[in-house]
Amino acid sequence: MEKTKLVIGHFYPDLLNLYGDRGNVLALYRRAALRGIDVTIEQITIGTKLDADETDISFLGGGQDSEQNIMKDDLVHDKGQTVRDMIENGKVFLCICGGYQMLGKYYKEHTGETLECLGALDLYTEADKVRFINDTVYEFEKDDGSKATIVGFENHSGRTYLGEGIKPFMKVIKGHGNNGTDGWEGAVYKNTFCTYSHGSLLPKNPEITDMLIERAMKNRYGSDYVLPPLDDSGEQAAKKAALDYIKNGKEQMI
Amino acid sequence: MIKTSIACLAARTVRAALRMMGKGATTLPGKIALKIDPDIISRKAEGKNIITVTGTNGKTTTAHMISDMISSMGINVINNISGANLQTGVATTLVCEKGRGDDMYVLEVDEAAFAKIAESLGPKVCVVTNLFRDQLDRYGELTHTRDLIASGIAKTGAKVILNADDSLVASIGDGIEDRCVFFGMDKVSMKENNEKYPPRKGVIPASPDAVFCPVCKVRYEYRAHSFGHLGDFYCPSCGFKSPDSRFEVIYDLGTSPSNDDYEYKIRDSLSGTTVDMKQKVPGTHNLYNTCAAISAVTVFTEALKGREGDADLFRSSCASQDHVSAAFGRMEKIDIDGKKLCIFLVKNPIGLDRALTFIADSNDKASLMMLLSSNFADGKDVSWIWDVDFESKAEDLPSNIAVSGQRYADMKLRLEYAGAKVGRSGPNDKAIDILRELIDECPQGGCVYVLPTYTAMLSLRAGLVRELGLKEFWK
Repeated sequence: MEKTKLVIGHFYPDLLNLYGDRGNVLALYRRAALRGIDVTIEQITIGTKLDADETDISFLGGGQDSEQNIMKDDLVHDKGQTVRDMIENGKVFLCICGGYQMLGKYYKEHTGETLECLGALDLYTEADKVRFINDTVYEFEKDDGSKATIVGFENHSGRTYLGEGIKPFMKVIKGHGNNGTDGWEGAVYKNTFCTYSHGSLLPKNPEITDMLIERAMKNRYGSDYVLPPLDDSGEQAAKKAALDYIKNGKEQMI
Repeated sequence: MIKTSIACLAARTVRAALRMMGKGATTLPGKIALKIDPDIISRKAEGKNIITVTGTNGKTTTAHMISDMISSMGINVINNISGANLQTGVATTLVCEKGRGDDMYVLEVDEAAFAKIAESLGPKVCVVTNLFRDQLDRYGELTHTRDLIASGIAKTGAKVILNADDSLVASIGDGIEDRCVFFGMDKVSMKENNEKYPPRKGVIPASPDAVFCPVCKVRYEYRAHSFGHLGDFYCPSCGFKSPDSRFEVIYDLGTSPSNDDYEYKIRDSLSGTTVDMKQKVPGTHNLYNTCAAISAVTVFTEALKGREGDADLFRSSCASQDHVSAAFGRMEKIDIDGKKLCIFLVKNPIGLDRALTFIADSNDKASLMMLLSSNFADGKDVSWIWDVDFESKAEDLPSNIAVSGQRYADMKLRLEYAGAKVGRSGPNDKAIDILRELIDECPQGGCVYVLPTYTAMLSLRAGLVRELGLKEFWK
């Protein structure tokens, strides 16, 4: 059998690179490569070309405000139509924090000023003065209907609200989620997954890593493609320890 | 002022009581003094010779070097060497440390605290080491940290020692050119080293800082790199570039600065003097810290004697480097019956990157222990370990690796994702047992490298004091 391939598009790695979100790219790379898939990581940034057909999984993280201001034009205007088409055509996206907010329609600042976003997903974000900074636990429903516990860390002052046709990604067990009120975290539209969760998200949550890889491989090789099984005991052990720390860990006085 | 006297008395009494209880008491006395007399810092700092050191990385090491160097010249030095570098720690040092009257104060100051107290301190010399991402949830954006430092400096008349290779730090010199002195790597050496010894490459590059010119929003170009975003940069739009340094490190990475007695040179372009050096505190990043310390001591002694550009003063600064030792938990090598224990505090991505590079390059590595905790002082979010490029160094790390700390499992997974194998692992209460086993297994002349986050270091250190009879860190 011919070797299968997977191309990961790492968007703006020089600008959107906060809170260890590059760990998500490393996780996708590792769990695909260990299955014998030939993985390539393309760095897509200001001035570089975006090859929609050849990009299987796109990753957008969050950045500092000043750095998001530098790349926003490139995403919203230069690459905007291509990205919107990719999302509509069912390409796989994972967007975290700032990347999540930028896919929506707009971001409204404390000052009332409204920043134009990509408008690929029917959702919007409003800034609030109180920042949510804490460990998080979510419940995620896998493609086979079974449930997985997901562990992460949130750090955001934006409150995100989902429009028609946009489903939440996960149910909040611990933490604030999209807006601190409705009990949901993140957004899903077709094969685009958005969340506020850092951690990094994917390394300790291989259920999501594998789902993203499988969906991308089905896009490339047809719906019959089945992702080969791969041990995840190391990841599950890290998740279990993190959950235990969140439940029982205390600030240690020294 | 009666208020000041009461504040000092209260602080000293509290400190004496806490010391009797075996506590370091590096911040509480200052906190009390500030409460009683909010102007205590300016009152106590008035008329004193003060050097401040700020920046995200290398503060403690650089301040420690400057202290050792100035002490060796026969001047009494008072410092906050325990690393208590907020207003409270600085106030504790100013109030509680008894001097001789002609003392020199060397104070490391947190970046945000610096903006608040620079004016009160009225330092003669301010050193800014570098600016790297550091617990962004606590400090905010790097450009903001840069602005804080610049605002503090603007309220002093100090000579300012700036890292020429760091675009964020170098830009602090805008508008104060007459009192700025730059230090950095010699630009020719940097380029030659890049060509001769290309750096290791990982799966994807580490998350970089300060990639774009904040004024033009154009990507900086580099003629040469040292590490992180440090290098010979320029903005192709506005032309802002790495300034020519007065003090420069001339080096060759043919042998590794990770090893003892690494040989290099430092040049003072003002006096046209070059001095041969042997590195006292190893590591490429410590070439910067050493150069910063020599710059500060030279500039300070020049101001003291009114002899700017005097080659003899530069030479004696360089010579005083012989008296330098590593600071607490900063590459401090402890001898244990012919085996070495080296503790290296890691608190942010670039610090961890430098530590891993250092260990990968060292020729005495026997084992590695990493301790990750998430108390407030460490940062509650452990995501930052994923910003570090472990992948490029994993092959060269020791094969015997252990993990501990509150979040040991996160660190274990991080190492495993980079392809490293982790042996022993367990939470904080296992740390001392694991370390004892690593020391037992270590061959003679070998080194056990320990990389803890801040609170993991303090608790490990407390264990070592009990087990190995090491001295308390505030002594």
